[in-house]
Amino acid sequence: MNLFFLFLSYIIIAYMLLSSLSYIALFLLAFRKVYRESELDPRETTEDLAGNERTFPVSILVPAYNEEVGVVSTVRSLLALEYPEKEIVVIDDGSKDQTSARMIEEFQMTEIPFAVRTYLKTADIKGIYQSSIFPYIRLIKKENGGKADALNAGINLSSYPYFCAIDGDSILENDALLKTMKPIIESDGQIIVTGGSVRIANGSTISRSKVELINLPTNPIVIMQIIEYFRAFLIGRLALSRLNILLIVSGAFGVFHKERVIRAGGYNVKTVGEDMELVVRLHRLLREEKSKQRIEYIPDPVCWTEAPESLDVLRSQRIRWQRGLFETLWTHKKMIFNPSYGSVGLLSMPYFLFVELLGAVFELCGYFIIAGGFFFSLIDPKVAGILFLVTIFYGSLISALAVLLEELTLHKYPKVSHLVRLYGWALTETFWYRPFMIIWRVQGIIAAFRKKQHWGDMKRKGIST
Amino acid sequence: MTLYFFLALIMLLFLFQLVLLLYLTRRKKERQRYEEEIEQQYIHLTEPFSSYIMDPSDVRFLYAIRTISHKEVVLERLLNGYVAFTKGANISPLVKQLSEEFLTDLYSQILNQRNWAKRINALHYIEDFHMLSLSPMLLKKIIETHKLDAETQQLVRTLASLNETRVIAELQRFPAVPSRLYVDIFGRLQKESASKEIETALKGTDAALKHAALVFIGQSGALSFLPFVEQELENQQVETRIQALKTIFRLEYLSDPDLIEPFFESSHWTERMFAARIAGILQLSRYKKTLSTLLGDSVWWVRYSAAEAYTRFSDGDMLLAHLSENHPDRYGRDMAAQWRTYRSGGART
Repeated sequence: MNLFFLFLSYIIIAYMLLSSLSYIALFLLAFRKVYRESELDPRETTEDLAGNERTFPVSILVPAYNEEVGVVSTVRSLLALEYPEKEIVVIDDGSKDQTSARMIEEFQMTEIPFAVRTYLKTADIKGIYQSSIFPYIRLIKKENGGKADALNAGINLSSYPYFCAIDGDSILENDALLKTMKPIIESDGQIIVTGGSVRIANGSTISRSKVELINLPTNPIVIMQIIEYFRAFLIGRLALSRLNILLIVSGAFGVFHKERVIRAGGYNVKTVGEDMELVVRLHRLLREEKSKQRIEYIPDPVCWTEAPESLDVLRSQRIRWQRGLFETLWTHKKMIFNPSYGSVGLLSMPYFLFVELLGAVFELCGYFIIAGGFFFSLIDPKVAGILFLVTIFYGSLISALAVLLEELTLHKYPKVSHLVRLYGWALTETFWYRPFMIIWRVQGIIAAFRKKQHWGDMKRKGIST
Repeated sequence: MTLYFFLALIMLLFLFQLVLLLYLTRRKKERQRYEEEIEQQYIHLTEPFSSYIMDPSDVRFLYAIRTISHKEVVLERLLNGYVAFTKGANISPLVKQLSEEFLTDLYSQILNQRNWAKRINALHYIEDFHMLSLSPMLLKKIIETHKLDAETQQLVRTLASLNETRVIAELQRFPAVPSRLYVDIFGRLQKESASKEIETALKGTDAALKHAALVFIGQSGALSFLPFVEQELENQQVETRIQALKTIFRLEYLSDPDLIEPFFESSHWTERMFAARIAGILQLSRYKKTLSTLLGDSVWWVRYSAAEAYTRFSDGDMLLAHLSENHPDRYGRDMAAQWRTYRSGGART
């Protein structure tokens, strides 16, 4: 029995060391581009597009479920977006609160007949409304069908060749769309999806739907999520994007080529990880068609979102994310280790399987063996000690490194105290935050087998004043 | 032994991070101090600068700028702010003069540095400030380059903004030049030079260049090129014909309405769609009946454009009301009903 645990310990140690090395390798891949572009004058790089008539018009889709607190400020922030031509489509997915009423009242909306193209099948549409003050703001009231279904309804109604999917509680920076559309425009259609970096808004001052002052929140749960974002975005996504094997474009903000998405069948309503599933499906189609089109991620923070402040809500969010990841990998299991899908099948899918999905299982076993080794002689305490050190390295030191690398490249948090606090909190990750995450991520895998679908039930305070 | 190895490794990594943290903390403090100094000098010079731009006889600014430690950075920000505020509409000769005097050497150095971001920024500023003296240096750079990357593309735009027409010939050395880059050039050249280059492009055989010329004519409303555009309606290439239709739609003018008649029955839906749009925007009453046929087209976009075209006519509301009840095609009726109340168009900023 002890031999089994000893063997398991070695596997976990090897796993954690290899995963850590993969993180560092991924960062090194992304570092040059991020560092190179960090000194660019942001206004100069987008100013040409802002006044350019050839900048493709974009439909902004805002799926909303019980978003009465945030939906109006989100739409207001979208109105302020600097972009030559856009339309805003809010999709009320059968909310039980006053989401639609708030929209109708605030933007003086009236019901209109509309010949919707049903490219994608959705739950029944109850009505389509148009604002009389801003005719390019529309609202779809529909039966509840989930976020993916709401986005599909928005795609059906949208008029433009590109759509931008954002969460109902997101606040976009003024030049967010320009920055995100830039790679698409400059690639002459070779880039079909771009994802923008999402930042946590808690703690920062947002007034009139604009981020006025970037600050750190005081709640440690939120600080840890900021660190997590650094780790995921800076270390993971940028490098995967450079290799054209990025599998996640955050549901909080992404721009998609509409026709491509329609050809792929739209968002999958049967999964809670509809954003990732769609991107994987697009990759799959691109590879099957031997297309050279790309999916790209931009490092600049363009979208601000409210992070959960309580463990309860965070738990439900993480279970949902992990379940979505599992479902996506399961749906596209054919691609894993399949050379026909190139680097997506050979590198990216295995990375998400072993690091992002099964990582939690390995880590949970690791924590169990550490406790068993120290307190119940399950394994040699020396081996438990090594495992403990490696866990600290994998959990805390890599996150702390992510904080330092953010400062080295993007340095978006303005004060020295921000840097020191972020670094200090990152070091504590292994001892309290990570165990929670691991347990919830394992619960997410279990939830995937149960298949109960629902929107996230986050209680929003609203992030804009 | 192994435990100590890992302990030492973790400690070493931790120490490395601490050193990095210290370095970054120091760097952050230094940057903050640097930014504060610049901000102070910027605020100090804002009033004299505005005054100088409004009235060049008030030379307080010229004395003050020479006395500050970060004169290039502060001047760059002041000029940049001014150009952004005026949206570069009329580049003041003072902007050119100040930038030529204080920033030429700096930008010459930067353009030969290894820092890519600084080079790109400098190219943007040279364009914004119309620094003609750097034109020969930039031209030399483009002649020597062999890769059409982001930097070369900006180099092309900057040169065009300095009215350097040779960039078009230089650009044609590269394979598959995106049409948008040529449009950017036409938009930046001075009017006379642009007209000459557009005429050459329309007479030439380079499809990307010709498409760019058509796009630019539509964007700038250059009606003098209408005969050339109408001629392209007979081009053998579908893409060129579609581009010519788009341009006519944007120009909102056509010398002979008969020219678009064949396009209502085109086998390419994009041509049918643009024909419908043109009939609407030019209020060509003779095509009202044809639009009714297109309202029952198999392609959604053609139906959409046909119905939209009706809204341009004075009796459009009445026609749409009639068609929403009586059009033989169900989709046509739905589309007509939608356009009775629907207002199209996105937010144009």
